[in-house]
Amino acid sequence: MTTLSQQRRQRVNLTGWSGRAIAGVVLLVFVLFFAIPIVWLLFAVTKSSKALILDNPFALGSWADFTANWNQLFGFQDGAVTTWIGNSALYAVGALVITLVVSIPAGYALALTEFRLRNALLVLTLVVMLIPSTALVLPIFLELNTVGLIGSPLSVILPMSFFPFGVYLTYIYFSTSVPRDLLSAARIDGCSEFQVFTRIALPLAAPIVALVAFFNFVQSWNNFFLPFVMLPSSDGYPIQVGLTSLLASTPAFNPSSAGSDSVQLPTLALATVVSILPVLFVFLFSQRFLVSGMTAGGTKE
Amino acid sequence: MVGIHTVGPRRTAALRVTALGAATAVLVLAGCSTGGSSANGSYGFPQATQDTSSTITVWVDADRQAAAKAFQKAHPNTKIKVVTYDGSANGSNSFRTKMQLFDRAGSGWPDVVFSSQNNDAAWASQKNNGKQAFAAVLDKGLVPNDTLSKFTPGALNPCTVSGQVYCLRNDLAQTVLWYNKSLMDRFGYTVPTTWEEYEALGEKLAKEHPGYIVGAQGDAWTPEVFMWASKCEANNITGPKSVTVKTDSTTCKRAASLLDTLRGDGTVPNVSVFTPEFVKNYTGKVLMMPGPAWYAGAIFNNPQSLNVPPGQLAVSAPLLWKGEDKAVTGNVGGGTWFISSHSTNLKAAAEFVQFVTTADDYQVNVAPGYPAYAPAAQKWIAKQDASKYFATPLQPIATAGSQVWDGWGYGLFSQEAVWAKTMTPAITSGTSIVDLLPTWQQAIENQAKVNGYTVS
Amino acid sequence: MTLARQGDTLTAGARERRRAAAREGRAPGRTRIGYLFVSLYAFLTLAFGIAPAVYSVVLAFTNADGGFAGLDNFSKVVTDFRFWPAVLHVTAYLVIWLIGLLIFVVALALIVHALSVRWASTSLRFVYYLPGALAGASSVLLWLFVLDPTASPVSGLLRAMGFTSFVQVIQPGNLPAIFAIIAFWTGAGGWIVIMYGALNNISTEVIEAARIDGANAVQTALRIQLPMLRKWIAYMGVMSLAAGTQLFVEPQLLSQASNAIVPNDYSLNQLAYQYAFQQNDFNGAAAISLLLLVVALLLSWVFVTRGGLFEREE
Repeated sequence: MTTLSQQRRQRVNLTGWSGRAIAGVVLLVFVLFFAIPIVWLLFAVTKSSKALILDNPFALGSWADFTANWNQLFGFQDGAVTTWIGNSALYAVGALVITLVVSIPAGYALALTEFRLRNALLVLTLVVMLIPSTALVLPIFLELNTVGLIGSPLSVILPMSFFPFGVYLTYIYFSTSVPRDLLSAARIDGCSEFQVFTRIALPLAAPIVALVAFFNFVQSWNNFFLPFVMLPSSDGYPIQVGLTSLLASTPAFNPSSAGSDSVQLPTLALATVVSILPVLFVFLFSQRFLVSGMTAGGTKE
Repeated sequence: MVGIHTVGPRRTAALRVTALGAATAVLVLAGCSTGGSSANGSYGFPQATQDTSSTITVWVDADRQAAAKAFQKAHPNTKIKVVTYDGSANGSNSFRTKMQLFDRAGSGWPDVVFSSQNNDAAWASQKNNGKQAFAAVLDKGLVPNDTLSKFTPGALNPCTVSGQVYCLRNDLAQTVLWYNKSLMDRFGYTVPTTWEEYEALGEKLAKEHPGYIVGAQGDAWTPEVFMWASKCEANNITGPKSVTVKTDSTTCKRAASLLDTLRGDGTVPNVSVFTPEFVKNYTGKVLMMPGPAWYAGAIFNNPQSLNVPPGQLAVSAPLLWKGEDKAVTGNVGGGTWFISSHSTNLKAAAEFVQFVTTADDYQVNVAPGYPAYAPAAQKWIAKQDASKYFATPLQPIATAGSQVWDGWGYGLFSQEAVWAKTMTPAITSGTSIVDLLPTWQQAIENQAKVNGYTVS
Repeated sequence: MTLARQGDTLTAGARERRRAAAREGRAPGRTRIGYLFVSLYAFLTLAFGIAPAVYSVVLAFTNADGGFAGLDNFSKVVTDFRFWPAVLHVTAYLVIWLIGLLIFVVALALIVHALSVRWASTSLRFVYYLPGALAGASSVLLWLFVLDPTASPVSGLLRAMGFTSFVQVIQPGNLPAIFAIIAFWTGAGGWIVIMYGALNNISTEVIEAARIDGANAVQTALRIQLPMLRKWIAYMGVMSLAAGTQLFVEPQLLSQASNAIVPNDYSLNQLAYQYAFQQNDFNGAAAISLLLLVVALLLSWVFVTRGGLFEREE
């Protein structure tokens, strides 16, 4: 008996040891896979275009080269990059506001009130969630075209504000995490239905508001196809579409741009960094609550 | 969801306030923009209400930003706004697709557009879904006939549809044989005059001086440099909607087999001349290079590229095929300038387009390519000769200008896109071009048919 | 992607509970406020969900003059020489991407979850998650650098694989894998975090019991954890599939950057764009969009039914 269990334990430990080694290698490979491009990108922006090709990819360039790249980027087309970032912010924040104003009450109503077609709307939400947003871009283009909105900021803000996923998240949250007794008590205390929502439900919903805001902001900021179609003029580009203009001016990727005013590779790298900074900040600040928000659930259920 | 509570209500409230502010801004900005009322204009197309003080928007590729800068310097009082785009390069169609978007939107067209392709007049001159044609007619008074007549004969062919001129040509892009005279002398070679001699010299070079090259075939315009100059009938536009494609002819085969042979021994490598890779591997190693006139400024005399020192680069007339008495040559682009028929400041737009195609300040002093405007072209050659940069006189370029073979047309679809998509990957994977000719034929036919052409 | 907990989402359980509450006579808010609260959302759903969907159906079955066209638009796009290559491209990409996603995301989540060192697990998740900030054009640009042997940080690796030039890297045969890698790089981290959260929801007693029964880590993973992740895996499959069929920005930018060696009609969505704005044929474009949508919904249905995505719990 004792020898048997000892043997078994040994075997377990052995597989455990080699398994751990394999697991370690897998983890490391993927750390490299995920991290190398980003780390390299941060080094690349500090180099001249020659150094980028000739030097060690992970050597630091110089401050002078960084400023040169910076000036080239923000001097591009008389500061077009600044305009594009401003546009991105306008579209993403505009969509965010409307999304919150629309989704949170809708999720609340779906979860905690009765009305006709409630089930229909719920099912519809689930179905529309599965339809990728890009699939509807062309018909939306035609639709907004008939009302003359093409080229206006609203042509991207409104479609981006339609965020069924956010409604669904809110619905789930209100139907599971808000104690109904609390709402009933408020009603007994004489709160109107509207006050129940604003005074009781909304403060409780802060976490879900943050979550919906996070997803919507990231999705809007990174949206490419929608503004690419809706906003054909360079003045209206968000930075994601603006990147294609920069790409088109990079000789290495577009032969017809071999002139002296072209964008060099490190500048393009810097543009990539600048284009993601806001989302990166949101990620860094939200990763704590996002991750802990998910991991905390384990014991509660 | 416990952890989410770290985002306090206060922060959310702050967010809400900022967001509300932004929403207000949105509503203010969303004011409707409607184009001015249109009246029938004097230039042969309906024009928008004119405002000669308005800013004109100019779309250029990165290379033509210099043209816009030169204009700004010479005309500080005309307000222009420069926007770069990809120049519709390599058949990306971005010029056409964007203008169709503006057509749908009913506003937003740029006033002037540069296209690096020369097949855009084919669509820009046509009405689109009942919408006014994008391109303004230029020869009905907008551009003086005196100016138009001074373009090199044939230069405006790609701009002319049903006898009307819809664009001005930026440069002529006839192909010539560029070579490095110092290297030629050092190796003791003589400059070839026929493609057969060229091929033989390439093979000799591979044996005697490996690593040196006599051309490149990695670019999308490879067919325009080699096939066009070999009278390969791959793009014979015979009518507004008909094209003849015969890639199985001997004229196509001879060029294909030349490319195969020289790719095999490494003297015409499958690499684009605009890649960092090309610059890295072949700086100082280009013995010869059949290519368009604009190669001089774009790759040879360009510090970002090959940066050939003065006194080495030379040019020779287009090569002959043995047994033929008259050399013909190909053409690689040579951009075109369009004026929008929707422009509210046609005067400034016309001024701009004339400046960039004819003025010495740009065409002679700055532009890398051979001007399409004949007086500028003469000065350009004189200036280049005087600069002592070139080791030989540039007269062959001017001669080649009238030798472009007319059996290769300017259709709606891009031959460059077809080549890049179908041929380049197959060539990269090692298939010979001779074997790929039927594939090429099929690809051209497909692309032509999709664009409404009948193929014969 | 979603970050809600397993018990919360994707089940009809919540609604059931609510209904039960309603039967007990505690139904709140049986007033008009519900209509008010959903009105804006209902409007947006109509405007940007239903109307465009219906509109594209109408367009797909009519011709340019608005007359009924039957299946003409469909037969036109299906016989277009660019159509089947595009189908092939997108399919190959989806197969590689989904398989990679399923295997690696689950494996990584399990391994990270098994780590006993807390900071290691947290920082690993963070590293995997971070590329998610680079989506769309930004990530494609970054990968253009990585895939170009002249500038790449991993040029040694590329050369070892026999790629000495950018053109060789972007050979047509490699493209599906390249797009899959880009998509995996940006998207996998989020799913790893979600799977990790789902694993946390499996009660520790079950796993302890398995361990006492002599199951090693691999066995526990295969027999206990994996079946419990089924729903999440199916959900990941559906969302990734739906997004994957819409491939646009990656080939679009690569086409621009490769001088059209990657054609601008590489994916179905690009072809639809070409139809709409190059050939000015919105009906053909709508037919392609509709085909895409139907296929995506059908495949999603397979995932949903096989993965038990909307099965009621308990």
